[in-house]
Amino acid sequence: MNTSSSMNDVDVSSETVLADMRQVTRRFGDTVALDGVNLELRAGEIHALLGANGAGKTTLMRILAGLDSPNEGSVEVLGQPVENFDPGELRERGVALVQQHFTLVPTLTASENLILARPTGALLPNRRESAARLNELAERYGLSVRDGIPAGDLSVGEQQRLELLRALDADAKILLLDEPTAVLTDSEAERLLDVAQSLASQGRSLVIITHRLAEVAACDRVTVLREGREVITNGAVADYDRSDLASAMIGSETSGTFTQRGERSFTPGTARLKIEDLSLDRVSGLSLTVDVGEIVGIAGVDGNGQSEVEAALSGRVAPEHGAVSIDGAPIVGGDPRARRAQGLAYIPSDRYSWGLIQAMELSDNLELGRVPRIRPPRTERHAAAQPDLDHWDVRAAGPHAKAGSLSGGNAQKLVLARELVSGSKAVLACYPTRGLDPEAADTVATRLVEAAEGGAGILWIGAELDELLAVADRIEVLSDGALFGPFLPPFDREAIGLAMAGGGLLNQDDQG
Amino acid sequence: MTTTLSTADSSTDPQRGLDKWIGSITERATQEGMLSAILVPVASVLAALLVGAALIVFDGSNPFSVYGAILRGVFTKPRGFSDTATAATPLILIAIGYALAYRARVFTIGGEGQYLVGAVAGTALVTAAGFRDLPRPILIAAGLLAAIVAGAIWSGIAGWLGVRFGASIVISTLMLGFIGDSVLQWAVRDGIRDPDSFIANSRLLGDAELPGLPGTTTHIGFLLALLVVPIAWWFVSRHRAGFRIDALGHNPAALDANEYPSSKIVIGVMLAAGALAGLAGMVEIAGVNGRLGQEASVGFGWDAIIVALLGRLHPVGVLIAGIGMAGLTIGFQSSQRELALPSSLVSLITALIVIFVVFGDALATRMKERR
Repeated sequence: MNTSSSMNDVDVSSETVLADMRQVTRRFGDTVALDGVNLELRAGEIHALLGANGAGKTTLMRILAGLDSPNEGSVEVLGQPVENFDPGELRERGVALVQQHFTLVPTLTASENLILARPTGALLPNRRESAARLNELAERYGLSVRDGIPAGDLSVGEQQRLELLRALDADAKILLLDEPTAVLTDSEAERLLDVAQSLASQGRSLVIITHRLAEVAACDRVTVLREGREVITNGAVADYDRSDLASAMIGSETSGTFTQRGERSFTPGTARLKIEDLSLDRVSGLSLTVDVGEIVGIAGVDGNGQSEVEAALSGRVAPEHGAVSIDGAPIVGGDPRARRAQGLAYIPSDRYSWGLIQAMELSDNLELGRVPRIRPPRTERHAAAQPDLDHWDVRAAGPHAKAGSLSGGNAQKLVLARELVSGSKAVLACYPTRGLDPEAADTVATRLVEAAEGGAGILWIGAELDELLAVADRIEVLSDGALFGPFLPPFDREAIGLAMAGGGLLNQDDQG
Repeated sequence: MTTTLSTADSSTDPQRGLDKWIGSITERATQEGMLSAILVPVASVLAALLVGAALIVFDGSNPFSVYGAILRGVFTKPRGFSDTATAATPLILIAIGYALAYRARVFTIGGEGQYLVGAVAGTALVTAAGFRDLPRPILIAAGLLAAIVAGAIWSGIAGWLGVRFGASIVISTLMLGFIGDSVLQWAVRDGIRDPDSFIANSRLLGDAELPGLPGTTTHIGFLLALLVVPIAWWFVSRHRAGFRIDALGHNPAALDANEYPSSKIVIGVMLAAGALAGLAGMVEIAGVNGRLGQEASVGFGWDAIIVALLGRLHPVGVLIAGIGMAGLTIGFQSSQRELALPSSLVSLITALIVIFVVFGDALATRMKERR
């Protein structure tokens, strides 16, 4: 079996449509993840799928791979309509999805992972045969992977190449790559795009989900989604320039859910929170100062260093390099009570992992981080918690209710009630409105603005650009572990969008 | 790598593999509400006695007369209550330690080894030349203290291995239990052997023996166990460390991010569990045996796991379960000869209790989810 013969049944003409998705709609409860989206994949093309977080890119790909099914619309693969959205059936028909989180067995070697995905018989092939199968594939497609060591010990790039080899081993004609370059270094990403082009030239069709506009140049056509709707459909890449795509992704007008905050004053030059030359994993040499009463918004696409900034600032993980200080006093890692005593409030991105203990009572959760050595009796603790719950409007059965019984918005208000006590000097707010309904999100934003009015310096890591535009005094864009900015009001939406999509980096390269 | 940061830091999560699996059992044991707090343990004991009755019938005896004899053994025999209290003492002490650890979802099963190491250390100290002539109260206190320290160290080793290297605490405490038994065998044959004795055992404890409780045939160690119960109760409900233990059990990542490093709590509960088990070892030797011998390992460290689970990881529950378990053992022992039943009946019934408790908890969880 070799590629050329196996691809013979598909006409390599660039007009052949390998997959056609029409008016695909997918709803999850009340939210519409996809609203009448079209996508056409031709043989021999690389199709870029662009969009901000939550635009529906991954949902669309999951449907095409049979991992999810649409509520409305039709999908055709190789000219045949898809009736059953079943991953096994679509794999048979030549669709392969390489997900963001790899699905390799980390304790098995590369060749063993290959055999596991497509066994050749009841008995396992011997080590030499399976190694030969891996080598042959690796050579044919120019995707080198080390064999003989556990897949979990391979580099991220190698793991991804192994995922690709596994898809190619199954003779996939439609390859869907969900943010393949997000985890790669620049040179690895370049190499991957080269491989993608050679795979396309053999008559396959590839979809590359990306946030990075630079990578779109290597593609043939582009589809842009925003909030589940298509903005650009099957457009030729040559017809668009970078700023067209950036404004298509980000949108040009505010969606209107966030009210513009009134004028606040902050005191420039009075550093409250200071980050100096911070390095941790993806983040390198990041410096930032937040002044008294200032709200600094960190915009950017997830996975560009947000989780590292959060981990280092909250003291959960010690940075490789650099320092964080509040009013000049350095923050000690690994001692959450000391962090709190210094006046750093922390609103975690995942409130159920780092913010709350769902199985414990509301009053216990309010005490987290400031439990006295000897605790008062339970009834007194409940009585003491009640005013806080009332003030922050945490709607629950009472202080004895379990935190796990709260709705998302009330759970977040509980975190705020604990963190935003008077005297907070700085607030690290990570996606504070994530998953909340507009009313709850607005309350949370109002409370944070109040904290800033009280003199706290607020570092707001956000995903919703509109929200940051409404509250921030300054916006910095986090892209590839580095900050681009500052962007000051009145904000240039397009410029921020371009920086979020990796344009910041590009501009620097262009100058250099 | 970014992926390690995106979820709760797995390196600080003490629950993995085997420990995680056992965790689901203790998780269910700490559910709130009447169903799991009272109904499950009571129904489990009754169900175990019922199956036990069927087996007694199969053996050719009358279950009513057997269970009647067991009850008479506790309630009418002159030493019934005293012997029950004596047998309950080590069970309660060790099980309180287990309960603290299990509340934090730290799964030590090393009580037996810590008990033995505690007994060896305490006996070694009080029988050593230069020590055995100390005034009696000081000698007793020194012996108990040595046992507490030794048990805590033995348990702390496993805790440290778990925190530092991610070693399964279930496995390392189990293995340290075997080593603890070897320490005992070496000690009585060689280390602290009584040179004048023909068989392998230590010198008599003499002045280090615990005084008896007036009017009974038990010793003051039982009072010690009774004292530990309210202290532990106060500790889990009113002390900061008790809060942290519960927080660790429910969400280690939130504890780490907001309150206190979870690894220190893991070490803390391991030290506490070891200290109580070590104390139990010396209390038993100084209160009952009078000298340390090869036969010191009688399995209190294992039975206490059942007591902790049956007592719903609550100090008061542990007290009730410990006395109940001791009563079953004592009642059976005193009636064993007249009934001519296999001695394995008690361990069979306790094993059945465990099975029914685990089953009942799983059932209660399912019913709760249905609602």
